[in-house]
Amino acid sequence: MYEILEKREIAANNVLYKIHAPHIARKVQPGQFVVVRAFENGERIPLTPVMWDAEEGWITLVTFIRGRTTLRMNMELQEGDKILNIAGPLGNPAPMKKFGKILAIGMITGIVEVYPIAKAWQEIGNEVITLHIVPEPMIILKEDLEKAVSKHIVESFPLKEGMGMPEIFKELVTRGQAKVRELIEKEKPDLVFMVGPARGQKAIFDVVKEYGIPMEVDLHPIMVDGTGMCGACRVTVGGEVKFACVDGPSFNAYEVNWEELIARSEFYADLEKKALEDYLTKLQQGGAQ
Amino acid sequence: MARSKLIKERVPTPEVPVEERVKSFVEVNLGYDFASAVKEAERCIQCPPEYAPCIKGCPVHINIPGFIKALRENSENPDEAVKNALRVIWNDNTLPAVTGRVCPQEEQCEAPCVMGKVGDPINIGKLERFVADYARKHGIDEELLKEFISEENGIKGKVAVVGSGPAGLTCAGELAKMGYKVTIFEALHKPGGVLIYGIPEFRLPKEILDKEIAKLHELGVEIKLDHIVGKTVTLEELLEEYDAVFIGTGAGTPKLLNIPGILLDRIYTANEFLTRINLMKAYKFPEYDEPISIGKKTIVIGAGNTAMDAARSALRMGSEVTIAYRRGREDMTARIEEIKHAEEEGVKFEFFLNPVEFIGDENGKVKAVKFEKMRPLEERDAKGKRKIVGTGEYITLEADTVIIAIGLEPNKIISEEATGLKTNPDGTLVVDENLMTSIPGVFAGGDAIRGEATVILAMGDGKKAAKAIDEYIQKKRLPA
Repeated sequence: MYEILEKREIAANNVLYKIHAPHIARKVQPGQFVVVRAFENGERIPLTPVMWDAEEGWITLVTFIRGRTTLRMNMELQEGDKILNIAGPLGNPAPMKKFGKILAIGMITGIVEVYPIAKAWQEIGNEVITLHIVPEPMIILKEDLEKAVSKHIVESFPLKEGMGMPEIFKELVTRGQAKVRELIEKEKPDLVFMVGPARGQKAIFDVVKEYGIPMEVDLHPIMVDGTGMCGACRVTVGGEVKFACVDGPSFNAYEVNWEELIARSEFYADLEKKALEDYLTKLQQGGAQ
Repeated sequence: MARSKLIKERVPTPEVPVEERVKSFVEVNLGYDFASAVKEAERCIQCPPEYAPCIKGCPVHINIPGFIKALRENSENPDEAVKNALRVIWNDNTLPAVTGRVCPQEEQCEAPCVMGKVGDPINIGKLERFVADYARKHGIDEELLKEFISEENGIKGKVAVVGSGPAGLTCAGELAKMGYKVTIFEALHKPGGVLIYGIPEFRLPKEILDKEIAKLHELGVEIKLDHIVGKTVTLEELLEEYDAVFIGTGAGTPKLLNIPGILLDRIYTANEFLTRINLMKAYKFPEYDEPISIGKKTIVIGAGNTAMDAARSALRMGSEVTIAYRRGREDMTARIEEIKHAEEEGVKFEFFLNPVEFIGDENGKVKAVKFEKMRPLEERDAKGKRKIVGTGEYITLEADTVIIAIGLEPNKIISEEATGLKTNPDGTLVVDENLMTSIPGVFAGGDAIRGEATVILAMGDGKKAAKAIDEYIQKKRLPA
């Protein structure tokens, strides 16, 4: 059981939890993730430690409220409460090499995963430019990134009345693609790295590909255990089946089978909707425990 | 006391009727009550322990005639009878409620039973289960536990156990009884390994498993969950803190079929499918948060125990289920009792079919499986199974859900991190005759050294390793 030392909404739908988890804080490296189970009847969800302190034994996690579990965490967990399980660190650390100039892109809450990696890359002597593609109310980690890397750019737009997810996503992609094109031509990066929803990653990759610049992506397929024992997170990379939780999460964007990955990330859309509706009904009836 | 005559047929155990049980995950077999257990116990001819073939057939060598004798000696006093019987069992096995349920007794203790030569062998598994269940229900196990709690606990040394499956739990229990302070490191959020995520409730109720594991806590064993050895803590760090380490990490990585369509929607590995159902209780969605998506027609590929568990679980989720196996009926490796249960419940079987392609619809969901028809040869492979060859003929079966249960191999996390740990080409750990690995003080057992095997063999290894660890630590302590 891991105590929540601090909890705050750092932007619309983005909640930060600072958690006492010495076993993770002691070992985690940029690029690695954890699997969290917050409730006795809860599911296991993968999240990424954004910041940590090995001596004090804490990590911070940022959730984007997108369904039942992340909403439930926000509604039911307060400072001083305990999270049942945090397993990790999992996955492979990001390679700590001198690539030269790196363009590291985060779409929406994907930036939380970019932060520790970009910071570490900068520290070992790379020139890192970070780009956050995001609706305005969801801008996060701006000051932190400005401090950590050579240049931090926010490509944002206001949310207009009646904008649904499809419209927001379209805006993210259109603006993101244009900005990335502009940055590639101006900055000529040696490596592009991106974290975000699979469809967003694919859209940005389509631009990067035109320039033939190497690109790495952290993939987020559905995960259950996160330790390589079930294969739910399998992806085809370079024609071979890989488990993202043990072989990744980072892969060469040129080798990823994107159509498959996108289809697989949406397998549970109907059930996810049902789970959320079920929870919202319970909230309405005042019995959400 | 001369017995009048041999009773050739075993006393049956009641089962939940098929119509009822396929609608839920309740336990199928209800087990003996005291009267019928004593009646079955009376059939045993009480071979002397130094000869008794049943004891030799049991991988942890429980004194079977001994516990059976204890049962029938006190037929007027059930509590006393069970207490004495459980004491005998616990000497060799701390998880009898589990083993009585999931062991393939027909290949182990019951196979060489002398009574089996003239009639049915003694129903040893169900008797063992009865003792454990009765004791738990009547609080007898708690009473008896006090006798087994070592006063020296923690004095003899500290041992780390990696993995809380049958091998690790057994090793931990044995070491605790000897007086060691044991800490188990488990990657998942619940202990039990395959017993918690793999074997369904209808074969092993999780409540029973939890109680068996709770006994270990009372023996002084500590369990650290969410700890992935190789990531959260390294083997080297464990060796700095503990006098010895036992690796019981199992074979938990699913083998996949390397054929087109493997990434289509609703194609599961049996491990994912069973983990969602057993560990995460997805069958209770949305009461539980974990979802699972199952269609109307499920094909399970494989014919081991995992395949039976997956098939019977899918059936309980309301799907029609067919097991497709590349060999024949007599080659199936699942327990006879489980095959029988699956058939009774309406699982269909197709033999000599080898999958060559998964066919998807326009939404990326699986809609059919293409198989090549196989035929058997006289020749046998290394495991004694008939070899098979393709006939060049194909058949396509419709399915909107596919579960792959073709086997498992050891997880690489620990051996990739601890590079001094020697492995075989199949990923299993290399051990000597004392189950010690290539790193002194590090022992291993169960599926981590055997590849996919059985619960009871893992427990046998756990017990053997506990003895070897004790000897290793004692020897290390001797003045030079």
